[in-house]
Amino acid sequence: MHEFLAQLANGVELGAIYALIALGYTLVYGILELINFAHGDVYTFGSFTALVVLVALRAANVLHGAGLILGIVAALVVAILACALLNAGIERLAYRRLRKAPRLAPLITAIGVSFMLENLIELWQGSAPVPFPNVIPNPELEIGALQIGVQQIVVVALAVVTMIALHYFVQRSRLGKAMRAVAQDRDAAALVGIDVDRTIAVTFLIAGALAGVAGFVGGVSFGSAWFLNGFGAGLRAFTAAVLGGIGNIAGAMLGGFLIGLLESFSTWFIGGQWSNVAVFSVLILVLVFRPSGLLGESLPEKV
Amino acid sequence: MRSPRIAALAALLLLAAPFAGCSSGPAPASTTIGIGVDLPLSGADASVGTSTLDGIKLAVARANAQGVPGGFTFAVQALDDTQQGVHNPQQGASNVRTLIADDSVLAIIGPYNSNVAAAEIPITNQAGIVQISPSAVSDGLTLGAGAAMLRRANPTVNTFFRVCTTDSRQGSAAARFALDLKLKRVYIVDDNETYGLDLANVFARDFAKLGGTVLGRDHIAPDTQDFKALLLKIKGYKPDFIFFGGTTSTGGGLLRRQMFDVGMGKVAFMGGDGIPDIAEVAKKRADGTYYTVAAPNADLLPAAKQFVAAYKAKFGSDVGPYSANAYAAAEVAISAIEQAIVANGKKMPTRAQVLAKIPRSAKNEVLTPIGPISFDKNGDVRKPVISLYAIRNGHSAFIEQLNLSE
Repeated sequence: MHEFLAQLANGVELGAIYALIALGYTLVYGILELINFAHGDVYTFGSFTALVVLVALRAANVLHGAGLILGIVAALVVAILACALLNAGIERLAYRRLRKAPRLAPLITAIGVSFMLENLIELWQGSAPVPFPNVIPNPELEIGALQIGVQQIVVVALAVVTMIALHYFVQRSRLGKAMRAVAQDRDAAALVGIDVDRTIAVTFLIAGALAGVAGFVGGVSFGSAWFLNGFGAGLRAFTAAVLGGIGNIAGAMLGGFLIGLLESFSTWFIGGQWSNVAVFSVLILVLVFRPSGLLGESLPEKV
Repeated sequence: MRSPRIAALAALLLLAAPFAGCSSGPAPASTTIGIGVDLPLSGADASVGTSTLDGIKLAVARANAQGVPGGFTFAVQALDDTQQGVHNPQQGASNVRTLIADDSVLAIIGPYNSNVAAAEIPITNQAGIVQISPSAVSDGLTLGAGAAMLRRANPTVNTFFRVCTTDSRQGSAAARFALDLKLKRVYIVDDNETYGLDLANVFARDFAKLGGTVLGRDHIAPDTQDFKALLLKIKGYKPDFIFFGGTTSTGGGLLRRQMFDVGMGKVAFMGGDGIPDIAEVAKKRADGTYYTVAAPNADLLPAAKQFVAAYKAKFGSDVGPYSANAYAAAEVAISAIEQAIVANGKKMPTRAQVLAKIPRSAKNEVLTPIGPISFDKNGDVRKPVISLYAIRNGHSAFIEQLNLSE
């Protein structure tokens, strides 16, 4: 029981990170039908910007109490802004001019952008993994039979708050409504006076911001940042998005948590070397038997 | 417009042709002898790779300062086998081909990693060039059917030597050290690579044979970031320590670091010579790590004092875990080349002549900072020593050593 709960908590923590990244894939797919393969590397960029800020503030050694919390918030905010701007910049430079091109063209461009980002990050931070400062002290709390770290609570709470905020933004705000309209029918949205370019740019900003949050919590959770982190994490998050139904926001969240749990429990039951096999078998099975994903029924609204 | 350009290009090619011929023929006028080096010099293994290279540079500088017979000078030609941040067998093989293509290279030092060595040995074996690794410890590189496969191009000739010991010697020494430290219950994890898996297998066998309890084993997938699921599973077994077969870069560093995240910070962590640099990833959390190195402690050997002082003076940093081994490997190669020069009438020797001068018995041992070195018929050192270190306050502390002389 003890171990089951611990694995459950670990799976949820991992899943929260995957869900945040998966949301970025799904938002962009919903509005452009483009699988933005560079998204995983935006996540890596988020980890490194947060790391750089924390190191500059010497958050792990010097700061305490309120100062430490401010430092963590600063790192998070910088990571969010940097990733949002990076993602929007990618859209402006690489994808916008290909919007009317055959669909393969932006896809290949996305792969190219991904390689470019990986190599730029390597140039910036080197090819060795960089330790992420230990900013969140990790005493264990006992809640009944569940042992849980403060760090896990922070990671999951941050992710959940972000997702709730996203939900309200998309459902309630004017921009969110515009996003849904553009996703449904770009031409009709333009006809009723929605600025399509601006709406798409906002979508990329938001997807990037989510990758920034994911980069921060991923760094905290794994304890290191590496220039190729985004590749593996991005593939798993993409699997999560497909599992939930790509283009569907609730689906990406559900898929993320399911993939996190699957990784955790497959390590427990069949061994660490098989966790990748378990995760990507799911991708294949979903693509074969339910290509629209768990929640991805031909819904009227895609965002 | 077009034809004059083509004519110019053709003329240029004609001009260049004689020079191109030069590089593939015997270089008669050259007085430089290349010591080829293949090591991981960037990425996750950069710190151990660079300190290993520095050991070689020091040996070469010393030989040049003392004067080489025939008026030759040695030059280090170092190539990096890192790709995407990790040592890479294909890159190593390509580097070795590059070095072999240069006729002035008479010996190759390296590689650092066993899986890279397995890709390189067939190539150096076919070329008949001496290759000495400071640190590749996997058994199959010199012993048994594995080694026979690697030498299939030239089965009667062995060109691969190593100044370190083997996984099986290191694994059984680690098992003895663990029991000396009163660590009796182990969970074993490895990275599924040539080196890590071999080391974990030998450790598991010998630890059980000596009376320890192996609670379970697991292998990790490459590129894994989250080890907490695995560690939570291990925590349920309540082990005295975790033994890791692998390197810091293939997961050792993050594994140790994340042990603290699941409340296993007080559990000991042990590994082989793949994790001496673990403090760079695990930081303060590296404390409580034990590791073995297949070499005597250079600080304690009288012959090594000089080496340590010279190293610090030249590079301004502490000796790396394999600097002394690399220095020794280079000294053995240099000694063989110098003897071959003398035997060849002070002219440039062939690679086969150098191979013939590699020390094979106690009579012609080469004295190095890691002790006198000569090789058995497999290419392994005849007097192996294994040392145990612990990490305390972020620094390595020597604990004890085992002499495994036959």
